[in-house]
Amino acid sequence: MNILTMLWKNLWGGSRTMLFPARPAAGERFRGLVRFDPELCTGCAICKMRCTSRAIEFKTGKGEFYWSYDPGQCTFCGRCVEGCKSHALSQDEECPPVYTTIGELKKSYTVARKPPAPKPPAAVAGSTANPATGGAQ
Amino acid sequence: MNILITSLARLLIFPGLLFAVPAAWFFLWVERKAVARMQGRIGPPFMQPFYDFIKLVGKDTPQRTGASEMLMKAWPLIAVSAAAGAVGLLPVLPASGGFQGDLILLLALLEVPSMCIIAAGFSSRSIFGEIGSAREAVLSVSYNVVFLLAIISIAASQHTFRLDALAQLPASPLRWLGILAILVCLPAKLHLNPFSLPNAEQEIYSGPMTEYAGPELAMWELSHGLEWVAATGLVATLVAPQLTLWWVAALVFVALSFFIVLLLSVVASATARLQIDTTVRFYWQCTLIFAVLAVASALFMRFRA
Amino acid sequence: MKLWNRLMCYCRRRSPWLFHMNAGSCNGCDIEIIASLTPRYDAEQLGVRLEGSPRHADILCVTGPVTHNAVEAIKTVYGQVYGPKAVIAIGSCPATTNVFIDSRTLAGPLNLHIPVDVFVPGCPPRPDAIILGVAKAAEILAARGNKPATVASEPEVVGECSNCACREANPKEVQA
Repeated sequence: MNILTMLWKNLWGGSRTMLFPARPAAGERFRGLVRFDPELCTGCAICKMRCTSRAIEFKTGKGEFYWSYDPGQCTFCGRCVEGCKSHALSQDEECPPVYTTIGELKKSYTVARKPPAPKPPAAVAGSTANPATGGAQ
Repeated sequence: MNILITSLARLLIFPGLLFAVPAAWFFLWVERKAVARMQGRIGPPFMQPFYDFIKLVGKDTPQRTGASEMLMKAWPLIAVSAAAGAVGLLPVLPASGGFQGDLILLLALLEVPSMCIIAAGFSSRSIFGEIGSAREAVLSVSYNVVFLLAIISIAASQHTFRLDALAQLPASPLRWLGILAILVCLPAKLHLNPFSLPNAEQEIYSGPMTEYAGPELAMWELSHGLEWVAATGLVATLVAPQLTLWWVAALVFVALSFFIVLLLSVVASATARLQIDTTVRFYWQCTLIFAVLAVASALFMRFRA
Repeated sequence: MKLWNRLMCYCRRRSPWLFHMNAGSCNGCDIEIIASLTPRYDAEQLGVRLEGSPRHADILCVTGPVTHNAVEAIKTVYGQVYGPKAVIAIGSCPATTNVFIDSRTLAGPLNLHIPVDVFVPGCPPRPDAIILGVAKAAEILAARGNKPATVASEPEVVGECSNCACREANPKEVQA
């Protein structure tokens, strides 16, 4: 008889369905799309080395570098976010959108390399640092 | 001439084709919506079976090679026409002359759709079709014993096989026993849980219907809906009291059929699919009692009268 | 004729029947497809039915990076679906082979073998994303009419249904 009481309660209790375009909210630790902040990125390429599915591409050039991310290739594991020392990458709660052409969601950035921060005065006398080094990979 | 007009009206308008096809779509929708609501879901919108039908009509027609092409095209059409004929024969309106038909004819027409499913599975030359048809054949043999015994005993107690005599049954325990036995057979006839064996999707890839597509599948869906109307309509005419006004009789018929559809939906959503041996055992051991009781009481009443 | 075409377009959008095929998937996306039929997400409110036979379905849902063993099966089943049809690649695996990008056992992403209409990314995609993908594929199917899809990923031409309401929902198909 349990099944009949359950059916009765379902019938009069209303449905639990979300009507079509409504979507449930993701929780706060949901691993969604990876967000890149070009201001904070230092071009160390740790995220490319840590990426499990080669969703992140990194090419270095003279004084600038090229960084791209393809959500279609991504598996949303979060290793890039964990490995980024300058907190330029973050994962937000947005699910990747549905798309119709391969490569449609790929986002690329060309970021100029920033000069390194000036050294503190105690170490100036001993250094012969050349500020603008376009460091090779 | 008058007889021809009234019989054509019964066959084509009410309860014939013009009523039966929208009623078939309506009952299919009611079943899906009721099952969905009882499972806590929303379910399909109201016109869904109509959308499904039109979409299927618009798909490509299959090209098959070999001798079975004509045969496979014929089975759904035979099923639809037999089911529509069965609906047209139902004694809904008070006997107004015209083609009265016969209980034997009605029962034969009700059997033809499941025969067509069995034949279609075997003629589709696919292994899934053969397995599904074998299951449908076993199911048919099991529930038909109870079904036919119950309805024939009801008819025999009236000493006639005419359909309008069925519509005017006196209230007796025999009648309710027979109706109960028929209701127990309906889930098997309509391929509902717990007896939805021939449609076991995860096991046999939709069984006898595996090779059908497009307009032929639309005809199969329509014949399934018409089977719903015919089967629930049969029970509704047995239950309905005798009424004089024809439109009141029609309304009562539709309302009773609707209620039986709801009852079957409750049974369908409350149970899971049973295996073939449990099904056969159910129909031969448990419900045969009903049919035997019905036959016994019919004989008893006959010898008393 | 126009009325019939509009009716057909309208009904095709509202009645997408699915057939699900696993081309070497880890089953995560398969479980999320089944989850989209549960009461919370309820794909049946769009008229979606998961069918048992590819011949009954309009939309083929493929999960998994396509392994060498699965290529012939995918092509056979795609041929068994009667037109008009659409293909959804569910998960990031059939779109780009995801983490298995260097594997020797794979025959590449799905669109090398059959024309794919909608990609639903995610690993696994949420059930609401899958339902969005199915709705989009139903619109593409309705707008396509009776013209067959091409093998390479060329843009689709709008079929004979050029007046119906589904065009406003998907203006990109018009420009293709």
